[in-house]
Amino acid sequence: MAVTPPQPLLTLRRVAKNFGGVRALRGVDFDLHAGEVHALLGENGAGKSTLIKVATGAHTPDSGEIIVGGRSLSGLTPALAQQLGIACIYQQPALFPDLTVAENIGLRLEHGRALRRIDWPARRTQAATLLVRVGATIAPDAEVGTLSMPEQQLVEIACAVGAGARIVIMDEPTAALTQREQERLFTVVRELRAAGTGVIYISHRLEEIFALADRVTVLRDGESVGTHPVAAMDQAALIKLMVGREVSQLYPPAESPPGDVVLALQNTGCAAGGVRDVSLEVRAGEVLGLAGLVGAGRTELARVLFGITPADAGEIRLNGQVVTIASPPEAIARGIAYVPEDRRRHGVILEMPIAQNMTMAIHSRLFPGAWLRDGAERTLALDYVRDLAVKCAGCDAPGGSLSGGNQQKVSLARWLATKPRVLILDEPTQGVDVGAKSEIHKIIRRLAKEGLAVIMISSDLPEVLGMSDRIGVMRGGTLTAVLPGGSDAHVVMATALGGVT
Amino acid sequence: MKKYFRELSVTAALLLVLLLLAVVAPAFFQPQPLLSLVTREAPTLVVACGMALVIICRQIDISVGSVFSVCSVAAGLLAAHGWPLPLVILASAALGALLGSVNGGLVAGLRLPSIVVTLATMVTLRQGLNLVRQGEFVNLPDRVQWFGLSQAAGQWTLVVLALAVLVALGLAMRHLAAGRQVYAVGTNAEAARLAGIPPQRVTFLVFVFLGALTGLAAVMNIVQSPQVQPLSGAGLELKVIAAVVVGGVAISGGRGNLWGAFAGLLLLACVSPALTHLHIEAYWEKAIQGAIILLAVVADGIRQRRGE
Amino acid sequence: MSIAGKKLTGSAPAEPRPSGSWALQLLFRHETLLLLVLVVEWLLFYHYGTTTNRRGLVVGFGTLDRQFDILRHSCEIGLLALALTPIILTAGIDLSVGSLLGLCAILFGKLWHDGGLSIATAASLTLVIGAGAGGLNATLITALRLPPLIVTLGTYSLFRGLAEAITHGAVTYTDFPDSFLFLGQERWLGLPTQAWLFLLVAVAMWLLVHRTVFGRSFRAIGFSPEGARYAGLPVERRVALGYVLAGLIAALAAIIYTARLGQAKADAGTGYELFAITAVVLGGTSIFGGTGSITGTLLGVAAIAVLRSGLATLPVVLRLNAAEEMSGLLTGALLIVALAGSVLPKILSSLGARRQAG
Repeated sequence: MAVTPPQPLLTLRRVAKNFGGVRALRGVDFDLHAGEVHALLGENGAGKSTLIKVATGAHTPDSGEIIVGGRSLSGLTPALAQQLGIACIYQQPALFPDLTVAENIGLRLEHGRALRRIDWPARRTQAATLLVRVGATIAPDAEVGTLSMPEQQLVEIACAVGAGARIVIMDEPTAALTQREQERLFTVVRELRAAGTGVIYISHRLEEIFALADRVTVLRDGESVGTHPVAAMDQAALIKLMVGREVSQLYPPAESPPGDVVLALQNTGCAAGGVRDVSLEVRAGEVLGLAGLVGAGRTELARVLFGITPADAGEIRLNGQVVTIASPPEAIARGIAYVPEDRRRHGVILEMPIAQNMTMAIHSRLFPGAWLRDGAERTLALDYVRDLAVKCAGCDAPGGSLSGGNQQKVSLARWLATKPRVLILDEPTQGVDVGAKSEIHKIIRRLAKEGLAVIMISSDLPEVLGMSDRIGVMRGGTLTAVLPGGSDAHVVMATALGGVT
Repeated sequence: MKKYFRELSVTAALLLVLLLLAVVAPAFFQPQPLLSLVTREAPTLVVACGMALVIICRQIDISVGSVFSVCSVAAGLLAAHGWPLPLVILASAALGALLGSVNGGLVAGLRLPSIVVTLATMVTLRQGLNLVRQGEFVNLPDRVQWFGLSQAAGQWTLVVLALAVLVALGLAMRHLAAGRQVYAVGTNAEAARLAGIPPQRVTFLVFVFLGALTGLAAVMNIVQSPQVQPLSGAGLELKVIAAVVVGGVAISGGRGNLWGAFAGLLLLACVSPALTHLHIEAYWEKAIQGAIILLAVVADGIRQRRGE
Repeated sequence: MSIAGKKLTGSAPAEPRPSGSWALQLLFRHETLLLLVLVVEWLLFYHYGTTTNRRGLVVGFGTLDRQFDILRHSCEIGLLALALTPIILTAGIDLSVGSLLGLCAILFGKLWHDGGLSIATAASLTLVIGAGAGGLNATLITALRLPPLIVTLGTYSLFRGLAEAITHGAVTYTDFPDSFLFLGQERWLGLPTQAWLFLLVAVAMWLLVHRTVFGRSFRAIGFSPEGARYAGLPVERRVALGYVLAGLIAALAAIIYTARLGQAKADAGTGYELFAITAVVLGGTSIFGGTGSITGTLLGVAAIAVLRSGLATLPVVLRLNAAEEMSGLLTGALLIVALAGSVLPKILSSLGARRQAG
């Protein structure tokens, strides 16, 4: 008996979105039915977040169609999305830290005249009920600011449940949850599904997808590489879909054997930074790739090494000497450079000229006695512009006028100018177009050849595999394995996911 | 208990000062002077209530002193022209609301920092008033003083009126949706927007509200004497900001309540008589106010850092 | 997903730099426009404010004496504005400079008069005290990470209150020796003596802001404090420097003020913070930090000083017989207009962007 499938709750048809020169989504098709959990899978930068922002109205797509409940919407706004019953639980909850849980939920759910009376007991009961429904043991009277991140996420979920959302989007909801909290969350998701809600579930953890999802769509480089029933897939097949393209000679090969150990960590940790017990050696002339999921502690480790959140446990040795790194200026003085992940906030100062951005970390060396020397600055900047092939209108052009890849080169130039011994690169090619990407790879390889110890954090698995001499894998704030370069993609992915092979 | 730690500690400090006064200067507690003291602070309390709203909303208004002066003179002139007192009160509150809407419009509409905006309006209004009035006093008709009542009755009326404003606003901030929206905007404007609360409108309205309350307070002040001084509001902004901040309303928004602000105001109000009774010159008052503001924000800062 | 970050400033075009068609760009610089306004303002006052008295002598705005007077009177506010420029460049604010001027004036008078110190010693000590007071602001702001606004509002009250407490609100210190008054009331090499000091500080501040790594850091911090920290700049030390310098310069302004009036009193410099902030904002320094220049600040100071002084020379009908009030009123209004003007392009572009997105 042929049953016509019911109309989907949400359909995205050939949705495309560009940011500057970067094509974040290139014509993605996606649909969500009532009573299903539809997992969205893909590496970082594959376009998952952009897709979600399109679905919640936060981004307007450049082309394509959004259909909610059979209605094609040309201008979806966040407010309209909310009205249509679309709720999104982001990794960073948008809550009121100074107010209680009950009030946070109340403010989200109650709408009405500004002069109406607040029924506090009812608010508390409502909050208590919803919290029980999502399986949270949080007091409704607790201030949200005092809750842990997973607890805050549960409050967000309670809001979505309370709002009676028909489409619930969860963006890596378990990234920070404990096992127990996770299981409760799964129960909530299953209950939502049973009640006819459609759930878009984003996660890196494959076992969750097998435990929860009905269908899975895999995104790669802004394109959908297929939607499949989960029952028809196994882990190996999914990983293959995610990793996709063959790792080939796209990446420049290592040309020199590694030298002496430059940086050695012994049980290094930082409680405030969320890093514990990392032991690691990096040699001159090698590229150590750091793989792991988002939130695994890779950026946090970089921040420890750069003195932003100084280490409070273990030992750091540079060229055999035990050192402390209490601040970024100290890190620079010791020859450690960090090219941060968030270029626009941390990497370059968008309003300042390229030349000034490039010399910002070497003020004391380039400008003796604190006096600016424009000539010297210009010469140095021009050298790097030429050397790294930065495409710009001139050294005086503001950093914000450049494309992502060229901004990254400016950020890189700033740190190369410090003549570091250890260079930490955090997602060096994220959001960078293909051409600039391979240029950056060549630069990294050349730097290693010149004797730098390079630590490259990347969520782009082919990049890690292709570039690294050795691959460190982090999980839960610590280093769990160091694999040889050229390891199998599936092995690295499985290690990062935790245990399952 | 922990939640109201700040309010309770201010109350404890207040009781301590009162106890000290009871020991060294029992004369402080004579009914008539005490009533006079409380009456003098009644208009300040009304302004402090409005200021608490503005600071809870993560803004600040240092033009209240000037608004107070302008409203006082305007109300005095209207009363002198023979307007009935209820109309004078309405007109003064409306004028205050109008001036508040200028601040609110600049801060919420153009997203300018409130400190600089209100610094500018503070001076503009003060100098504008000087320009127009040339420092002239306004003589009030007899029926205006103490609302035409006996002094004691008039004083009680003012005290009750101020307390009524405090209680009404204090309850509204806790139990009306509008009050909670002010907290919501002060603690996280972006989250408020996502929850369907318009942050700019709320910000605009708290400034208007503070203006209206300042207008009301101005009338509550002029009925206490036969003349209106041209600059009666000078320095008022510091006094109310100090009271509010000392009372546990965080300058970073979203925290604190009017009861704390009330306790803070009483504490500051006792400082000056305490100084007199302790034979310390009154010239120290301003310095002590500044020191108290600094102490309060330092305490909050340390507590916040420890909380992180 | 930082690509489409919602930070407004991120997409705003940065300050244009003179490169190719430098003449055209120079013309449209804020400073050039302000200079134009200043010239027009000056000419207006020159035209309406200059008269010939009964004895046939030219009096009012158009006399050299009056011009020197403007210069003399603008030194203290000018110094405070210079001191505030680096602070506002870092997106901070210091409301306490006017009060600190008062406190330093009193302490200087007291050290000399009651303390029996020589003028030179008293002045040096006053400068140290000023720097220390700035250090108090700096410590609270950088070490405890308190907002500069509320900290300096507290010290605004504290410093003025201390000045009043020391003098009991009544004592003024007078009878300073002529050699000291020379600094504030005479001319040296053709210019009012204090103008030379002002010039010296202006040049020093210009060098600091435009020619050293300190100025570079102030801007970086103003644009993006996090970005500056990630670039390895010592953010706290730089910010602290701004406030300490402001204290030092406020103390210098106090000494000049005392020399000009020949007396030290507790209400010295009341309200000067407003004039100084207005001058800085008028001069094109963004209240949100990052952009701005010392040249702009100097032009802003000149515009305000000419206004203050010029109003006093106008015929009675025009100035309503109250030049002081009028200038205060106009300065406040000017600040509001300058602020509104500075954010207007941003507001318009964000409205446009929203319309596009919607």
